[in-house]
Amino acid sequence: MKSNVRTLKRVENIKGWLLSGPYWIFAAIFFGYPFIWLVILAFSKWNFISPRETVWFYNFIKLFRDPMFWTVTWNTTRFMLYFIPMALSLSIALAMAFARAKRFRTFFAMSFLIANVSSGVAYSIIFTQLFSTNGPVNNFLYNHFGIFIPWFSDPNLAMFSIAIMVTWKFIGYYALIFLAGLQAIPKELYEAAEMDGATKWTQFWKITLPLLNPSIVMVMVLAITLTFGIFTEPFMITGGGPLNSTQTFMMVIYTDAFLKYEPGYAATMSIVAAGLSFALILLTRKLIERKVDFA
Amino acid sequence: MKKKAWLLFLAVVMIVAAIGFSETITLKLWTAPNPNQNLFWKTLVPQFEKTHPNIKIKWSQIPAAGSSEEAILTAIASNRQPDICTNIFSGFAAELISSKAIVPLDSFAGFEELVKTRDMSNVIKKWEYNGHYYVLPIYVNPMLVWWRKDILEKYGFKEPPRTYGQIYELAKKVVIPHKRYAYQAVTGVNWWDRWFDFITDYYAASGGKPYIYPEKQVAVFNNEYGKEVANFIYTLFKNHYTAVDLGNLPFYNGAVVGMIMGPWSIPYAQKQFPDILKNDVAVTPPPVPDNYPKDKPIYTFADTKGMIIFSSSKHKEAAWEFMKWVYSNPEHDVLWIKLTQMPPAREDLLSNKLFAPYLKDPVFAAYAKYVPYAVPTALSAKTVSIQQAMTNKLIEPLMYLKTTPEKALNDAVAAVNDVLFQ
Repeated sequence: MKSNVRTLKRVENIKGWLLSGPYWIFAAIFFGYPFIWLVILAFSKWNFISPRETVWFYNFIKLFRDPMFWTVTWNTTRFMLYFIPMALSLSIALAMAFARAKRFRTFFAMSFLIANVSSGVAYSIIFTQLFSTNGPVNNFLYNHFGIFIPWFSDPNLAMFSIAIMVTWKFIGYYALIFLAGLQAIPKELYEAAEMDGATKWTQFWKITLPLLNPSIVMVMVLAITLTFGIFTEPFMITGGGPLNSTQTFMMVIYTDAFLKYEPGYAATMSIVAAGLSFALILLTRKLIERKVDFA
Repeated sequence: MKKKAWLLFLAVVMIVAAIGFSETITLKLWTAPNPNQNLFWKTLVPQFEKTHPNIKIKWSQIPAAGSSEEAILTAIASNRQPDICTNIFSGFAAELISSKAIVPLDSFAGFEELVKTRDMSNVIKKWEYNGHYYVLPIYVNPMLVWWRKDILEKYGFKEPPRTYGQIYELAKKVVIPHKRYAYQAVTGVNWWDRWFDFITDYYAASGGKPYIYPEKQVAVFNNEYGKEVANFIYTLFKNHYTAVDLGNLPFYNGAVVGMIMGPWSIPYAQKQFPDILKNDVAVTPPPVPDNYPKDKPIYTFADTKGMIIFSSSKHKEAAWEFMKWVYSNPEHDVLWIKLTQMPPAREDLLSNKLFAPYLKDPVFAAYAKYVPYAVPTALSAKTVSIQQAMTNKLIEPLMYLKTTPEKALNDAVAAVNDVLFQ
């Protein structure tokens, strides 16, 4: 009897390993190995060609003394301050509009996803042309109102303009998450509130928003991750300028690794950027996340 | 019987030896990811293989990546580099040389003869590094200014401006705010844009003098020439003779009267704006300070790239044989011009009859004329950092009028020297 149980356990074990094995192999090759190499690089000086030299914490000390690190940290903070409020408010509004649509709801929702799946390079080029000095937007503004907006060439405006573009790209996707959250809220709660005389505005603040908390936290986490990974739009449109106002962590990491041939320093910056984003996500969850009970 | 067996053994040995000696060498060649250049190599490689049956060329474009340099570096890191590679600019060559990744080409027999055959004795001098030559330049693209003849004539200018003062005079007449500016002073804020504005202007103002002394690796562009150029850029922005953002295709849209262009703009203009190219384009060297002697040639920046042999190659002699074959026949350069419309790195473009048919095009002829006066970027392994420092400390402060030209120059030189001393 005992030996039968043992055999069965062994068979189950083998099955388990066989099923999870491909994932472990995949993770070891594509996550484990690069991660270990990243850590090794962060403590090294190397230029891809010459032998690697261990420099211990030199790259970290250099990083915190580098004015560019503080510039990109400030730029990332600014981007987040523009992007997260815009993306959250607009995607919640869009989700509520989808929820009210009686017909073609899926069609509308999917239409907004087109921006999300379109090529970053392609739409960056289109936006550059649209908002350039002699582009249609500025031509219209100048001809009708006599004003001219330097969307991407004013250091105070460039990052905001990029935030608008990225918001356009992601609101459809975030709205889908909020739509799922809205559909999970029991209708009885609204009916009861209406019977108690609550206005739509009160219902939004007292029912919708608190019960959307899991979706809000999820979108916030996604938005913070995105903020630290922003690359294509500033790279294609502004090249990090004007006056470094649109330099991002990813742009500096790319430039240091592949243009200045300093992969060790770039690895250090990527570890610090990942640490910052992780810390920010933890803080956000601690401050915002609430247990939601529909019962 | 013994004799027969012995003869048979001998015959087998000879056959094996013969096969061994005639073993085909395979060379891996990477070339620039450019459709016009692909056509060139597509024609040349089979011709070489036909005349050299013992050498086979495994030709491909430099693999897709953010840049050719990135692809080559990752290939070296993973030991997948080719034997021969094109598309190498001088700054990247300096990096490869300092890591001993490429071989000095002057160590091969027939190097000097080849340089003479291709008539590139002066051109090659600009590629000297530590007393050796590691790169054979294929083409030299001098940077020249294209002017809109139609706009100049409309405002009574018979000739395009030559000096800074003449550009200011032009600007006073042609500038319409938000619609049209006189001259594109700054190409962009990417590190490579410095090749096409400050460095080009500096070479023009200084008669081709270095902005970084190669032996000492010290930045010197805060000298009298650098001051002239910085003042010029600052004056254009301060007086609104130019703008930070000139919009899409500013030259063809008439948003700017003059701007620096490379010869790669010729095939583009032929396709997209043939009428403007045919009737309305005048080409001149970059502008110079007002006191620049009239009889002195004007120098400019050379966008130039060349071919190298990697130290890791097991068939260096065969690789050199291929390079010699490519560079020694002027017909190959004729084909190059025909397919790419970029001037080959040779000094006889104006005198060699083979190239005469292409000189009928006045725009191409202008580029060919300036090949001997085109100077490549400083030979430094830190090109990106240097030019990023120039952008941040010099160009952007001038564009946004954040500081005086003199202070911007001194800050930029200090920042570049920091980079060089690291």
